[in-house]
Amino acid sequence: MKQIQILLVEDDPVITEFLRTGLGYEGYAVSVVDTGNDALNIIRDTTFHLIILDIMLPDMDGFTVCRRIRNRELKIPILMLTVRKEVADRIKGLDSGADDYLTKPFSFNELLARIRALLRRAGNIRESARIIQGTLVLDTNRREVRRNGRQIELTPTEFNLLKLLIRHPGRVFTRETLLNRVLGYDYDGGTNVVDVHINHLRQKLRDRPPILIRTVYGVGYAFHPDET
Amino acid sequence: MHLPAGKISLTAKLVFLYAILLISSVLLVSYYSYWNIWQLFITNKTSHIRARAKPVIEHWLQDQKITDPTSMAKKISRRNLLPLARDLTSKDTVAIILNKQGDIIASGKRLSEEPTPPPPDLKYVGKALAGDNEVTYWSKVNDKAILVFLIPLRLQPDSSTIFGAIQMSTSLADIDQILLRNGSMQISAVAIVLCGGVLLGYLLIRYSLRDLHSLTDTCREIAKGDFSRKPKITRRGDEIGHLARSFNLMINQLEKMFDSQKRFSANAAHELLTPLTGLRGSIEVLLRGAQDNPEVLNRLNKGMYKEVNRLIRICDQLLAVSKLENSSHVEKQKIKIHSFMKDFIQQAQLLARNQTVQLLQGPSLTLIADPDLLEQILLNLLSNAVRYSPANSTISIGWKSLGQTAEIWLADQGYGMDEKTLTHLFEPFYRGSSACKSETKGAGLGLTLTRTMVEAQEGNIHVNSSSGRGTTVFFTIPLASRIS
Repeated sequence: MKQIQILLVEDDPVITEFLRTGLGYEGYAVSVVDTGNDALNIIRDTTFHLIILDIMLPDMDGFTVCRRIRNRELKIPILMLTVRKEVADRIKGLDSGADDYLTKPFSFNELLARIRALLRRAGNIRESARIIQGTLVLDTNRREVRRNGRQIELTPTEFNLLKLLIRHPGRVFTRETLLNRVLGYDYDGGTNVVDVHINHLRQKLRDRPPILIRTVYGVGYAFHPDET
Repeated sequence: MHLPAGKISLTAKLVFLYAILLISSVLLVSYYSYWNIWQLFITNKTSHIRARAKPVIEHWLQDQKITDPTSMAKKISRRNLLPLARDLTSKDTVAIILNKQGDIIASGKRLSEEPTPPPPDLKYVGKALAGDNEVTYWSKVNDKAILVFLIPLRLQPDSSTIFGAIQMSTSLADIDQILLRNGSMQISAVAIVLCGGVLLGYLLIRYSLRDLHSLTDTCREIAKGDFSRKPKITRRGDEIGHLARSFNLMINQLEKMFDSQKRFSANAAHELLTPLTGLRGSIEVLLRGAQDNPEVLNRLNKGMYKEVNRLIRICDQLLAVSKLENSSHVEKQKIKIHSFMKDFIQQAQLLARNQTVQLLQGPSLTLIADPDLLEQILLNLLSNAVRYSPANSTISIGWKSLGQTAEIWLADQGYGMDEKTLTHLFEPFYRGSSACKSETKGAGLGLTLTRTMVEAQEGNIHVNSSSGRGTTVFFTIPLASRIS
């Protein structure tokens, strides 16, 4: 699978840093420029699947950058970032050629969802509702899990936990990360909740060696698909 | 225009007052003219009747062949006096003749249509018997006003012997009727005048106050926050026109203040939201799993630490601005400019390591200022000059006297700024295009704070600059006295 290339046009160093890191973790390749002119130059030579564009740039505003990109008849999806919440600004942004609009401070989860939506619309990713890993099939639309054709009943938390692990085969997740991603950032309980859910999941999947959900001692858990 | 219930509008009050004034003056005039006419009628009637009586009496004296008082005394009897009484009586006047005791000797009333004489009033009869030729008084018979004249009965109008008195009475019904007719005419005239006057007055008052209504409506619109409405009456030269113009002035000022307040809030929100975006995003990315990598955790933590410090800096400066704006924490004292500047230049040279700071000595002046604030102002201006000047350029500081104030200036040979930056320079959070390129991001409040500090010392500040040609900042500080 080819990697999705994202161009981030943003001049604030801290915002740039977390976006680069966060998007990198999600598997996107991120290039960063901090001025409108640099952005217009880099898209001449490099092909991007998506542009995240801040409106307040040192040399020109994001609207202008957007219009210039559209004047070159480039159909790259553009997601605008701005502090201004006024409807007029949003209209201006969309009219200048942006495909979507997000106001600061935004939720990173929402940003990811919007990026996925834009990429889907542009036809860059075909996100299948069915994830198949070895003998395991997970249908995100119907929220169904089957192993060797046999349906397995899961609670919503167990389902989300499995979905996260199955999407990143081989990657080791700490208990904290699993807790944050599955139960939300606001959850205050201890991490052994994760162990409880993993145990339930293993029982329901009839997980025997070589097991699918492996414990990485001292760290957390990782998913390894079995052979069909 | 809608007034609260139970309140009377100014128009109504003025019309009411005006109507009362009009009514009272009209009533006064009509009363006066009525009284005058009445007086004229009475005088007329009196002289007319008296004039008619005189020849009748003379004729009677002749008829009775009276030539001396002795012969006259003999003639005082009912038989002799009845013809006189009858001659003096007419359709509207009736005469009776009284003897010296005031008893009626003869009455002229013969026909029923002739008026009934009032009984003699001894008070007035006495006066006539004492020789008064002009006794006239009012009386009433059957509730009708009657005018009574008394004429002493004697040989000659000036002879001392008086034999009795003639009482002539006449009804005033005719005068009453005339006056009544006149009165009703007058009443309708008064009514017409009043109605017309009040209507005209109402229209006039309404016309004069018309613009007040539009002024009130405009006020209300502005209270709702709509500054686009302005009172239109600016051509009127009177008090209301004046009011409208003052009002316009006030609205413009208010609008400006409102706008800058709005911009301030919007900019403050913007400045606070940007670091918050960084913080929130960094935290979210860490929670999603990036925290498992110590190197990434360290990098994002450093970024967040910077953002938190930026937030604190913005809050500090905001507090400093509001503190200066709200309080009188300025401790002014006399400052000798020469020694103050000498001390400052030493500090300045430490701050501007890559530039040369040059002090251009001006006249010897004593300022009235807060030394801490003054130093802060100069430091702020200097740090801007250092930030936006190339290495090895010169920054010069100098001053001159403007009479009541000293003008202190600080000039650099830096990048300067364009028109747009210049106009917004002192606005909170405003950053010129060159500021964005700068390594150190301020909160955008430095110059706002500087201006506030200058104004707290009753000075003012302005900037001369153009792109690529350096910047000079001038500010004034009041002088204690001028030492030449």
